[in-house]
Amino acid sequence: MGFFKQLIDVLTLGSDKPLRRLLAYYLILGAVVLALFYFVPSAGHLIKGDHIRTLTSNAQLLEDGLSGAKEKAADVPTESGLDLALTTVVVMLSTLALMLPVSWVFMSARRTRDADQGVVQTLIILPLVVAGIVLVVRTSLALAFSLGGIVAGLRFRTTMQDVRDIVYIFLGIGVGLAAGVQSLIVAAVLSIIFNFAILLIWRYDFGRNVLEPTANAQWAEPLSDLAQRDIDRAVPDRELVLALSPKKAAVLAKRFDRVSKILGPTQKKPRFNSVLAVTTEAVGEAQARIELVLDQLARRWRLDQVITTEGKPAALYYLVGVRKSVSRDRFLTAIRESAGNTILTAELELGDAASQEKQAAK
Amino acid sequence: MIRLPLWGLLLAAIGPLSACAKSDAASRAVADSALLGAREARLKQLLSNSDTIGPDQPIALWKLPDHLKEISGLALTADGRLLTHGDEHGTVFEIDYRRGEVVKSFTVGSPRIRGDFEAITIVRDSVLLLASDGVLYSFKEGADKSVVPFAKRDTGLGKQCEFEGMTFDSLTNMLLLACKHVRDKELKGNVVIFRLPMGADRDGKEPPPSPLLIPFDQVIGSNDWTDLRPSDIAIDPVSGNYVLVASIEKALFAVTPAGEVVFSRPLPKDHDQAEGIAITRDHLLIISDEAKTGPARITLYRWP
Repeated sequence: MGFFKQLIDVLTLGSDKPLRRLLAYYLILGAVVLALFYFVPSAGHLIKGDHIRTLTSNAQLLEDGLSGAKEKAADVPTESGLDLALTTVVVMLSTLALMLPVSWVFMSARRTRDADQGVVQTLIILPLVVAGIVLVVRTSLALAFSLGGIVAGLRFRTTMQDVRDIVYIFLGIGVGLAAGVQSLIVAAVLSIIFNFAILLIWRYDFGRNVLEPTANAQWAEPLSDLAQRDIDRAVPDRELVLALSPKKAAVLAKRFDRVSKILGPTQKKPRFNSVLAVTTEAVGEAQARIELVLDQLARRWRLDQVITTEGKPAALYYLVGVRKSVSRDRFLTAIRESAGNTILTAELELGDAASQEKQAAK
Repeated sequence: MIRLPLWGLLLAAIGPLSACAKSDAASRAVADSALLGAREARLKQLLSNSDTIGPDQPIALWKLPDHLKEISGLALTADGRLLTHGDEHGTVFEIDYRRGEVVKSFTVGSPRIRGDFEAITIVRDSVLLLASDGVLYSFKEGADKSVVPFAKRDTGLGKQCEFEGMTFDSLTNMLLLACKHVRDKELKGNVVIFRLPMGADRDGKEPPPSPLLIPFDQVIGSNDWTDLRPSDIAIDPVSGNYVLVASIEKALFAVTPAGEVVFSRPLPKDHDQAEGIAITRDHLLIISDEAKTGPARITLYRWP
């Protein structure tokens, strides 16, 4: 493998781009085939697919009614065991050579990094098995029916995670069939066209719905700031942000920015240092009880947002300037005692300034 | 130090292995080719010693597969290839009559036309199929396994005859349609061959077909036939005479274009149902038989 990797590196000038590396692989394979044609012209029958033409041709010998069947029996030679074994080996090696790049593309051209190892190995093994079966069955109807019965007994059925994975399996079967009928040129073209088509589709994100672009497609705004790893205001889970729809991401960004400006590190001391988030099913009553506590324990406070969603508890967000002498636990205990059953949850999130102050106090 | 490349070895191994691995297809092709060559050589040898072979002695006989059991008409192309067809379906087959091989087949129309097809002939670059009711289907010769479009034309002669034979006379530019069952009372008692001009005359009109009538008694002569129902017609490329075969009476007879009987004699034995006839430029008479007591077949005789 190391030798081939080096060779591919030389041909691609060290490029890691999948298209270039794939092209280099096929160029090497093509060179091997050309050399084969040049030095061993008689090997052409396996590559050109003479066998499939024989199978599909209408040409049919007629029985001679004058000299009888003995004429054919005497003249038709039988294939030796060695011939058969060598043919099988060549077909298998060629199938392997053609399916390797398919497995590489399968592992590379996907958005997530969860290529199923079982599928990858199946992509290599399945065509070999198919080719072997076709070599056995050939034109025998009886064997074909027997094979059908055996396959029905095995119940080779599985559910693929991605519809596209099924296409890879179909390709594997196609390459195996072509190789099995000794038409390696068809198998090669299948492999080449498929791989480049998949890579190009993956490269250009073909088929994306242009009316509902992904968040990733609108990278510059508003997600760019949020998704970067190296800034203080970054959302911790970058992948989560990228998975949002643009609309949701915009809402999140707006809120994130607003809260960040209030609580985040700034030159001046912020007016508020915490966000109190409360969920409740009785907004009016809860609000009155919470605000009693806020008057007592906060330097200043402001109701920032009330979010009501049908079928769900309402959410109240207060921007709070908590007194230095009041700890987070005491504050929340007071809120819960005052509000009682009118609230479901209460959370106090301290901003950067408050955190720093608390840290300094300790 | 260069490491031993395993994949390189595998790929390199394909070469010599391929050279050694002589595929089944290649073996079969070589064997078939040898057999066909032997058949052709044998036919040439027989023809070169044709003086020792009687006119009723077959020089080749090819048994046809099941899908050709209802073989009907025969037609020779300009380059000497033999076309034939089945009775009910619009599928045309090319048969290498010298080597005994079905070379190709193609289908007429999509879906494939169906009918009571009785005869086939070649008119310049077109192939014509004739149905028994006098309807002609015209199409170009297709490649193996292809489907070809067709044009349909009613000769209007179906009321007068039930047809079973057809050939094209390139000298007079006329189709010759051999009548099996005569429906027109005025024509009864005769072997009837309609001559249908192909193409318009100087006035741009299609000339009407004209019947060539040969009285039965002139054709039958000393034979013991009571009726004559021709099943196909061919033109002798040397003499230009019309040669007809009648399957029911097992008769073979020839008439001049003027209607004079040249000869009439029984077919050689073993012709169960002779449905087609063709004569080659190199003096071969080809007769096709539908399957009846045995498989359908094509038989070759020396033609004087």
